[in-house]
Amino acid sequence: MTIAGRRQWPLPKQADPNAPLLVVEDLRTYFKLGKDTVKAVDGVTFTLRDGEALGLAGESGCGKTTTALSLVRLLPSNASIVSGSVKLFGIDLVTKSERALRRYRWREISIVFQGAMNALNPVRRIGEQIAEPLEVRLDQPRATALKRAGELLELVGIPRKRARAYPHELSGGMRQRAMIAMALACDPAVVIGDEPTTALDVMVQAQILELLERLRRELGLSLILITHDLSVIAETCDRVLIMYAGKVAEEGPVDIVFRRPRHPYTRKLLGAFPNIHADRRDLEVIPGSPPDLRDPPPGCRFHPRCPAVMDVCRTEVPPEVAFSDGVRVACHLFPPGEAGGVAVTSADVARADRPSA
Amino acid sequence: MSGRYLARKLVQAAITIALIVAVNFFLFRAMPGGPERAIGHNPNVSAASIAALRERWGLDKPLFPDQFLDYVNASLHGDFGYSIKYQGQPVSDVIAQQIWPTVLLVGLGTILSVILGLTLGSAAGWRRGRWPDYLGTAVSQALYAMPSFWLGMILLVIFATGLGWFPSFGMSTAGAVYGSWVDNVIDVGSHLVLPLATFTLGYMGEYSLIMRSSLIETLGEDYIMTARAKGLEGGRILREHALPNAMLPTVTIIALNVGYIVAGALTIEYVFSWPGLGTMTVDALGARDYPILQALFLLLSVCVVLANLLADIVYGFLDPRVKV
Amino acid sequence: MTAAGATLSSGQLRAERWRLRLQGWRSFWRRYRRKRAGVLGLAVLIVFGTMALFPSLLAGPFQDVTAGTSDSLVGPSATHLLGTDELGRDILNLTVYGARTSLTIGLVATFMTIFLGAVVGIAAGYIGGAVDTVLMRITDFFLILPTFVLALILAPIVLDSIKGTPLASGDFFGVSVQLVVIILIIAITSWASTARILRAQTLSLKERAFVDRARVIGSSSTHIMWRHILPNCLALIVANAVLTVTISILTESTLSFVGLGDPSQPSWGQLLESAQAVGAPGLGAWWYTFAPGVSIVLVMLAFTLVGNALDEILNPKLSVRG
Repeated sequence: MTIAGRRQWPLPKQADPNAPLLVVEDLRTYFKLGKDTVKAVDGVTFTLRDGEALGLAGESGCGKTTTALSLVRLLPSNASIVSGSVKLFGIDLVTKSERALRRYRWREISIVFQGAMNALNPVRRIGEQIAEPLEVRLDQPRATALKRAGELLELVGIPRKRARAYPHELSGGMRQRAMIAMALACDPAVVIGDEPTTALDVMVQAQILELLERLRRELGLSLILITHDLSVIAETCDRVLIMYAGKVAEEGPVDIVFRRPRHPYTRKLLGAFPNIHADRRDLEVIPGSPPDLRDPPPGCRFHPRCPAVMDVCRTEVPPEVAFSDGVRVACHLFPPGEAGGVAVTSADVARADRPSA
Repeated sequence: MSGRYLARKLVQAAITIALIVAVNFFLFRAMPGGPERAIGHNPNVSAASIAALRERWGLDKPLFPDQFLDYVNASLHGDFGYSIKYQGQPVSDVIAQQIWPTVLLVGLGTILSVILGLTLGSAAGWRRGRWPDYLGTAVSQALYAMPSFWLGMILLVIFATGLGWFPSFGMSTAGAVYGSWVDNVIDVGSHLVLPLATFTLGYMGEYSLIMRSSLIETLGEDYIMTARAKGLEGGRILREHALPNAMLPTVTIIALNVGYIVAGALTIEYVFSWPGLGTMTVDALGARDYPILQALFLLLSVCVVLANLLADIVYGFLDPRVKV
Repeated sequence: MTAAGATLSSGQLRAERWRLRLQGWRSFWRRYRRKRAGVLGLAVLIVFGTMALFPSLLAGPFQDVTAGTSDSLVGPSATHLLGTDELGRDILNLTVYGARTSLTIGLVATFMTIFLGAVVGIAAGYIGGAVDTVLMRITDFFLILPTFVLALILAPIVLDSIKGTPLASGDFFGVSVQLVVIILIIAITSWASTARILRAQTLSLKERAFVDRARVIGSSSTHIMWRHILPNCLALIVANAVLTVTISILTESTLSFVGLGDPSQPSWGQLLESAQAVGAPGLGAWWYTFAPGVSIVLVMLAFTLVGNALDEILNPKLSVRG
């Protein structure tokens, strides 16, 4: 069942019901720091289909959060989207004015922030905070909104009478659930989870992931999950996008990418994660640190740390190459034409996932 | 706000007042030479008179506990001794005569300066980095750096002496006969304008700066990002999310500075010869009228403690995290 | 350490330490220079400081200043740039000499406040236990007491107590006893908030590794507090000190204004008091109030700007979102 089918509220007027849910094409978001320009997101392309869960993975500072925030332009004043497009239902959000864009925030794309400790207003009751978008954005009367807030709390496993509680009266896990309930209030097309389990302990983490999984099944949620924890992606997501230094390293179905990683960075990332089922071995460490994005290295940005670096890596930016198993890689180890790889431009990627009309 | 919070704050206030009463007493009585020393400077007072005064004031009894308990007892009954300067009138009468002008000035002034200061500070903090912020902050800092009495003198020179718009001293025109109470109000009002303006401007700056920095800090919090992500428009974010939180440290810091309001009120009254407790204090200081000074110290200190208590109560209503 | 790994003599070590310090100051100055508001404040302070240290640059010798030479209450003119007071004294001269008094009181009072606050705060934070509890109770009491009112009461009592004793007519390094009393009173009523702040800082420093290391090698508590804790509090102390100066100057002006100052060594507040006593505003003699008042405002603003600049450099807050 597509979002158009199951949802209570109407889609945006300009929506194209046949377009894929979300298409991000060649997105570039730059920050101005004094005289320098930080190229935090530098040419990122991906698609999200209805009902799909996409994991955005990478080290801190690789640009995954900035990418997600760029979708609804929740950027600080020194940052701006310099080029690219973000098409939700075929509507390009980048070209919208701030006022026009606001319509899409929360109603179409909502965010569950990390560390809900501080992401909830400490002086307002959580029921009111959940009801707020319903009242203000959807013009619902207070009583109805509060009733719906109660329903949402039940949905995430919080007894509805706790709607009158303040954030500090809830445990960390319950606060995160409340955040999820809040994110679902307007029945959005896409929910972005920005490290939703990072600040929680392992047991609670598992509960939250279970909750997300259940909601996905029951509501057919489309999810973008941002995290540096690959095990979370392995459990919850259908596809994964590995980012490095503002660019896409590898992208594809989770089981394929995790079982047969192509990009050296992906291999290193997976090696850096302890596997409780495998034999004991030493944890691999990725030497060096992520580059300074004010002056990224030429050619492939990973080349200073890459164990398989070649001369061409130092000078040429690797082209994105797509394979028949659904994986896309940007690495000189996989040049176009070999092993069935086909060079793709961002436009190709954007078009490729469109279902035949 | 829970009952226990309130109770705790009340008890703290009571203890502080008790300590102040003790300090007040010992400060004056324990002074070398005793309070009669002040009288002793007057050459017209004979030694026999001094001895009689000593007995009348009970100064020949031991300091503690007799004198102290007498003092506490007398204070609770509103007996604060007799003024030196005001020809032996009871201190409580003297103070009662001059308390209402001060209440009028300080009361109105505080309300105005708080409202204007917080508004200015919010406006500046919300538009940080843009010209309304620079202007607002510059004005606030300039006002904050000015001694309030100096501001009063300048306003006096410009608007009273110079332009003649307002009278330059007192609370009402001497010897005036009023047709009706409206005329009375207008007369007092015109006398009130300049001291009130001085008071308001003088404290507005400080409140504005505190509010601004509190708001700026609040705007960096995560829940503001959440509010933006919810697609709420600026006004709502400010009203519902930013200001309720920014008010908390603001109330606390303003409460800490209540003591300075006293300093300012005192000197402003003196500048404008406003017939309130401020002018009385300055005169009493000059004349070393210790009974009055002692009573005033007690009164002013208690007022500050009560103001702090009020601020604590207000805070308790604003912040749901305040519990046991 | 030299390249060969040979040890340096103590003289060489000291020289090396000074070289590093100099480097530190130079880089600090380079950062400070970029803050225009802070530089402006510093410039204003240098002007007033010069006025205080070398008053004869702008005014005549002190005796001339306090002896009236012209007509009373005359507005600014060619001979008297800022007018005269009721005794015919030149106001520019009075203001220049006033700088010395006001700034001295402000700085000395601040020094004592900080000293007292630092001793109490660091000791309470480091020693902890009963000492901490007792010191903090005292501090809290002083925090709650309305300090200005207390100063207002203490001043006449102390002044009267010493009147008639030989102490009354003396002075300390050229500062009259009356003003010394004011300095002490300001310090007594202001130290508490500094103590609070430094205690908090000490508590957090106490947990750090270098303190443990010092304790392990047997350093005494006093040594640790003096050599390890205190230097790490300096940034906080400096920022706090600059703020305290503005409060001290304002408090002194106010106390002088209500008549507790010393007319023979006029500070700016004292000058304003004379103006008020003579009824200058009512008489339209605006020049009498202008110079001393503007001086107070400028100096306070200057200290505020310098304080803000120092705070930005010494206590940087992360401004870019991660």
